[in-house]
Amino acid sequence: MSHVDDGMLHAYLDGELAPVDARGVDAHVAQCPDCRRRLDEERALIARATELLALATPPDRQVPPFRAGDVKAPTRVWWRVRLPLAWAATVALALGIGSYLGREAAPAPQAEMATDSAAARARSLARREFRPEARGTVGTPAVAAPGSAAVSPAPGGARADNIARPRPEPVESKAEGERPRELAAKIAAYKAASDERDAWQKGDAISLDSARHVLGGDPVVVPGVPVEAFYLGRGVGYSAVVIVQQALDSSTMIEVINARPGSLLLDQVVVSGAAAVRPDSGRPTESRQLVPKSAPRPLRAAVQASPNLFRDVRGPLSADSLAALRRRLQPLGPATGP
Amino acid sequence: MPEDLAAIYRTTYRALVRFLYRKVWDAERAEDLAQEAFARAVVHKPDNARGWLFIVAANMARDDARRAARERRHLTLLKAEPQASEPAAADDALHAESERTHVRAALEQLTPRDREVLLLWDSGLSYEEIAAQTGLARGAIGTTLARARRRLVDVYEAGQRGEHVARG
Repeated sequence: MSHVDDGMLHAYLDGELAPVDARGVDAHVAQCPDCRRRLDEERALIARATELLALATPPDRQVPPFRAGDVKAPTRVWWRVRLPLAWAATVALALGIGSYLGREAAPAPQAEMATDSAAARARSLARREFRPEARGTVGTPAVAAPGSAAVSPAPGGARADNIARPRPEPVESKAEGERPRELAAKIAAYKAASDERDAWQKGDAISLDSARHVLGGDPVVVPGVPVEAFYLGRGVGYSAVVIVQQALDSSTMIEVINARPGSLLLDQVVVSGAAAVRPDSGRPTESRQLVPKSAPRPLRAAVQASPNLFRDVRGPLSADSLAALRRRLQPLGPATGP
Repeated sequence: MPEDLAAIYRTTYRALVRFLYRKVWDAERAEDLAQEAFARAVVHKPDNARGWLFIVAANMARDDARRAARERRHLTLLKAEPQASEPAAADDALHAESERTHVRAALEQLTPRDREVLLLWDSGLSYEEIAAQTGLARGAIGTTLARARRRLVDVYEAGQRGEHVARG
């Protein structure tokens, strides 16, 4: 065996060498005084470097307690982390208000999702579209009444609903009787739910290089906005999805979707099948089951499909802002990479 | 999942703070960023939380450094005023502070990649994890670490010698 190089010696000393290689080093060092001496030198070097690094250590403070349970939405996390005192004050205030309002406080967030105009719209929707013949279509998008497709431009309906669930009991007759405000809340919640179902699934964080590899080119980003991380994503009908997370400012995170379509043009399949899952043919009362209790969902920008790459920006911003960001999307050049 | 993350928190929090500290050189800021990273992990629920945390932390520290550079320009004006009102620090503290400054200076002489690998190793990540994180081949980690350690020690010792020469 030839002499052992520095990299191998360090890997050996770090205990990171594969057993077979480590045995090779052992054998060589046993019969090579030079390498034995170098092994000692490198061992001392590692000890010295570790010692120096230990000098550059922050004062040891108590590890703050870990609370996973009360974190819901990213904005709240930021708030809590950055302003712990304000957070504590908020909790105190919330407790005070909570005990003051009692049980009234609980349903408030959901009810507030619907504005009065939404309530009015929902009322008219309810009158027009909760027709008796729509009742037979529980959880089976494929057989939805095709006539209802032209009636409402519900944005949530234009997308795939591949997780339509069969429901235990049809209850829409009850829905017709409910107060309009509740109905509006349910429809709003339903739309939020369909947005969520449509959301791109975010997987592992990856490096820029991996992102390039996956997409076969530079991912698009909003230029001038710090890139926080790249994630591998999943989306129905796309063979490769990369989600770029960018920090607009300290509390606003946007995500840029880069998706390479699969061989099937699922976009079209999605659109033709979509009529089935709209609120007018489905049962708004059931939407409650689909919506997690955490209310604020990010809004989505409209979709801009390019021939090769599907791009989208999502984040807690107005539709206009998202559209503006979408127009600024540019491929990430090598110079601006993280 | 939260249980896992809680366990990772217990074992990794200090290492993450240390890692961040050597990037932002401010203990409180490092703690803030570490907690922020964990808070994000709670939301994102990454599969490999430990590796994910260090990636996010590195990115946050980089953005933070940019922000700090901007703010420093404003602060230089304020710093001009004398700090005579502060009680004289103990010799030990002064000494530690000066050593820290030297190590920091030495670390800054490393190439960004060498420094990153060294800091990640010192935070307890394996060669495998460091390779995944930096995009280096696993086989190159040992060589990178050897170079980084040597440079750190050499630059530090040279700085010490230089200082003694200057003093003597």
